[in-house]
Amino acid sequence: MKQRLPAPYGSLINRDAPVSFRFERKSYQGFAGDSIASALAANQQWLLSRSFKYHRPRGALTMAGQDANTMVQLPSNPNALADRELISDNLDVMGQNYSGSLNTDHGALLGLFSRFLPVGFYYKAFFKPRGMWEKWAPLIRKKAGLGVINQQLEPDYYDKQYKFFDVVVVGAGPAGMQAALSAAVEGCEVLLVDENPLLGGSLNYARFDAEGVRGQQLREQLIQKVDANNNITCMTDAVCNAWFADNWLPIIRYKRLYKVRAKQTILCTGALEQQAIFHNNDLPGVMMSSAAQRLIHLYAVRPGRAAVIVTGNNDGYANALDLLDAGVEVRAIVDLREQPASNPMIDAAVARGIRIETGHAVYEAHKARNHLSAVEIRKIIIPGICADSGEVIPCDLLCMAVGYTPTYQLVCQAGGQLSYDDDSAMFTLDNCPEAMQIAGSVNSHWDLDTCLAEASRAAMIATNALGLTHAHVPAQIARESVSPNHPWPIFAHTGGKEFVDYDEDLTIADIINATRDGYEHIQLVKRYSTCGMGPSQGRHSALAAARLVAAATNRTVAQTGVTTARPPFAPEHLGHSAGRSFYPARRSNMHYRHLEAGAQMLQAGAWYRPAFYGPADNSQNCINAEVVNVRNNVGLVDVSTLGGIDVRGPDAAEFLNRFYTFGFVKQPVGKARYALLTNEGGVVIDDGVACRFNRDHYYVTATTGGVDRVYQSMLKWNAQWRLDIDIANVTSAYCGVNIAGPKAREVLAKLCTDVDLSNELFPYMGVREGTVAGIAARLIRVGFVGELGYEIHVPQHSGEALWDAIMDAGQQQGIRPFGIEAQRVLRLEKGHIIIGQDTDAMSNPMEVQMGWAVSRNKPFFVGGRTISELEKKPQLRRLVGFVVNDPQAPIPKESHLVLNGAQMTGRVTSCQYSPTLQKPIGLAYVVPDSAQTGSSIIIKSTGGVPVTAVVVKLPFYDPDTLRQEL
Amino acid sequence: MTSIRPSQVARRSQLARRHIELGAEFERSGGQIVVKNYGSQTEVAQAKELGLADLSTLPRTGFKGAGAPDWAQAQGATLPQQPNTSAVQNDSSLVAKLSHQELLILSDLNAKSTQIELLDNSSIAAQTYALPRADSHCWLAVTGNQAAEMFSKICAVDLRAHKFVNGEIAQTSVAKANAIVIRHDLGSTHCFYVLTDVSVAEFLWDCLLDAMAEYSGKPVGVAALRALG
Repeated sequence: MKQRLPAPYGSLINRDAPVSFRFERKSYQGFAGDSIASALAANQQWLLSRSFKYHRPRGALTMAGQDANTMVQLPSNPNALADRELISDNLDVMGQNYSGSLNTDHGALLGLFSRFLPVGFYYKAFFKPRGMWEKWAPLIRKKAGLGVINQQLEPDYYDKQYKFFDVVVVGAGPAGMQAALSAAVEGCEVLLVDENPLLGGSLNYARFDAEGVRGQQLREQLIQKVDANNNITCMTDAVCNAWFADNWLPIIRYKRLYKVRAKQTILCTGALEQQAIFHNNDLPGVMMSSAAQRLIHLYAVRPGRAAVIVTGNNDGYANALDLLDAGVEVRAIVDLREQPASNPMIDAAVARGIRIETGHAVYEAHKARNHLSAVEIRKIIIPGICADSGEVIPCDLLCMAVGYTPTYQLVCQAGGQLSYDDDSAMFTLDNCPEAMQIAGSVNSHWDLDTCLAEASRAAMIATNALGLTHAHVPAQIARESVSPNHPWPIFAHTGGKEFVDYDEDLTIADIINATRDGYEHIQLVKRYSTCGMGPSQGRHSALAAARLVAAATNRTVAQTGVTTARPPFAPEHLGHSAGRSFYPARRSNMHYRHLEAGAQMLQAGAWYRPAFYGPADNSQNCINAEVVNVRNNVGLVDVSTLGGIDVRGPDAAEFLNRFYTFGFVKQPVGKARYALLTNEGGVVIDDGVACRFNRDHYYVTATTGGVDRVYQSMLKWNAQWRLDIDIANVTSAYCGVNIAGPKAREVLAKLCTDVDLSNELFPYMGVREGTVAGIAARLIRVGFVGELGYEIHVPQHSGEALWDAIMDAGQQQGIRPFGIEAQRVLRLEKGHIIIGQDTDAMSNPMEVQMGWAVSRNKPFFVGGRTISELEKKPQLRRLVGFVVNDPQAPIPKESHLVLNGAQMTGRVTSCQYSPTLQKPIGLAYVVPDSAQTGSSIIIKSTGGVPVTAVVVKLPFYDPDTLRQEL
Repeated sequence: MTSIRPSQVARRSQLARRHIELGAEFERSGGQIVVKNYGSQTEVAQAKELGLADLSTLPRTGFKGAGAPDWAQAQGATLPQQPNTSAVQNDSSLVAKLSHQELLILSDLNAKSTQIELLDNSSIAAQTYALPRADSHCWLAVTGNQAAEMFSKICAVDLRAHKFVNGEIAQTSVAKANAIVIRHDLGSTHCFYVLTDVSVAEFLWDCLLDAMAEYSGKPVGVAALRALG
């Protein structure tokens, strides 16, 4: 705490709000607004975690959440970025990936064996001899992965929100703020997004003039204007994590994923500072110059006591001036350039007496107590090669200022092309989509005034495209001739450990060896070496790897290119993708009556349906009792989920005649007819009944799961046939029940007085319209469960009232509800198939004994041509009924195999214990030779136990259909 | 005085139990039972900020077919010019034009509109087909200044006032459920009618309340809605 610099340093912290937290079980204090890393730095705790492969000590590198060096373990989640995650009272933070302690990690011994762990190690080491990988895999997997998932944790509430803007500006640095302002003053609704807590980008911490005043002044001016403009919505602490087609931008802020639609996008995403590559360039205390500036200006933390700066541009000098102002002793500026051009920053550094060594490099860093203790600087002989000896300068801070890569990820995801000029070491981005502009340092403009002008220009293009302005767009301003990027800040060392990719502990030799192993393409180098595949996704390795590969393969960097930048830009929680999930579960109007009656509900498709009524652990008895009650008394089942489609109009009969397999043209009014649906391949895909209520009106039922497909198919076919009909899916508009059993009429008669329910006037397969309990109803006399039965369909909102009325009316007759499990048994006893359970993607009507439902006398129906061809060929299988007579045999289950010796010849599709027949019954596909009544088939039951079953004639129950025609 | 309960009539909202759990007071309106209020004295103010009401038991109907627009006009209905817009009728009912050949007619909040009964009882013309809209869909109303912002959490259509004007219709998805969203302001208060498949009414109700919690949104009775109009 006493290390803090005085205000105005520390723009992110609130010194009036101290916060206590723990790191590695030791208590620390910081301030509200501190990140974990900044608070620890203020307490001189620089070591944050251990590296992935060699367990090397790692500390802050960017202080911007752009690297994996700061990944720490939180109680709620692993791999939190310590330089992004804020401290809070009593937060427990631990380092990651060590064995022993963070300070003394036994795993670090692996570094001693690094020469035996070359690039492609896994590929080389474990493929041979055969079976070796299986031995190694458990050990490797145990070592792999970072952090620990807390499996006991209740997931947080994540959700999503849509947003719509004319212009979205990503990046709220000087260019971003200017672009937003220029677009907003023209009337655009603008969203200005930045991943940092403050607007201003580099203006918050970087030095743009020798005096150090320009940045702050410009920042205040721009923010004042942004705040005053009502057309601008600012979203800080928000990362635009990808670009998708049509400017669809997923923006993550805290626990919400914003799905943002932008008409125009302006990317002012800035640039990422790159590291110099030398021996031990990963030690805590070695950091980007911008990281040191962030610590000073944002958190009021002095990044070290004695500093050396290695630079390839003038920003290193600005950094040195900042360090001096913050009270850090600057022992040397090591400039890779032999003769840097005159610049006010350099002049100021000279004037303040800083030692400057041009044409030198940091050749290696020295370590003491897991921290930087000194650097050895050497004269550069030729690019990348240093003199044999140099000078050791003790220091505890080394700032690296050797260049930048544009933050190109979103641009490239949108199809932008990243190019590199090997002579000037300058990047350019081209081929952006029409509705995307870029401005600022992402477009390799470094001068502040140029960035502002280019941002205004980008906004002008956007507002022109939106039709808000018709301004003449000036030509793009030429880029500065001198790039801040040093062309070769890479210095190989005999001892290696010059890290190109911190995430994966990859060194210069690893990248070069990948090319020597034959992986010369940059994409192959990535996959072979894993360079760029870590959490920071190549932010600091892509350029260096490209340079090394280019040199190793005698190509230019431009020819080599960089790896593809794919979404997401930054790591995101799974919760952000999952978010608040929506599952529109469907309930009938009688839902609560089922619950009140003790139903065990199950989901059938999107619907909740009662499986059976009674305790879950007494299911079979409950189901059997429900079956027996239907057979002997009367039962009531909710069939609201069944599909219902109204087909109306003069051509309704003709339509059904073409759509279903049966004939419907001559179907009498007041009658229902079984409707079997096949597709063009002659495959059975649905069934129901078509009820003709008048000449021009059919009410067609369909299966619960199939109705939407049937409806869509009807619309599709009639789009071709153009018959004069209307098709309406009225499934949800009606609630339905099936009252079934020998006493069904007796119960219904109490409630339905306007329809003659006698068998003579309302026979089996008759349909009527009337009222039941005063509710307008469609009545269909069907026999799915094989008993006298009536389906009663009423307007949805009256479903519960109907249920209540029937249950009340049936008390004397012993009515009780039955669920779909009992219904399955009842229909099986009657030999009725369930489409989708007893049929599959190949089932034709003849195979499933439904040939009787196919009309051969009409000119056309969907699938008819195929069916007629199939009928000319011998059947390959047949769905038959079977019984298991051995009471000791296990009951076969659905999908159990039918065997002929060792050969699989069929499968069971349905099998239940029949309370009526007192034995297991079922349906199975068998070969025609086994389909004869009386044939024995062998079913491979649970545990491989063979069960002998006998093929019987369907139905199992009431073969003369006397029961349903009572 | 006997309190009015949904179970006293055959036609019951799918959400009746939700309302009872929330302590709703019911009233009869046009022969139907609706939630009058939930016992709060500030429901009007609540509705102005963010309220959710269930209007599912109020009358509504629908017609479609090539002959439907002419037929409805012949019965006295005033149709909007463009699909996906709606028009308030002289009797305060609302005719929503869902396509060139499909109409949805919603009652006023007092269930006193005569238009629906007139249409339902008129002889249907050729190529005109009645739709059971009173039962196929539940009918919810989301009201208040925060309504559009709340909707942005569960609906991908931009429903902000200056983008989705009064009378406009979006046939879209709300919380993954197919929905008809109609902006029908009550006085100066923004109001969105939401009609979805009735079988997902409870799911949608819960989703809306969950999304509304961030803005302190709460259920309101039809009395508060009437006060706004």
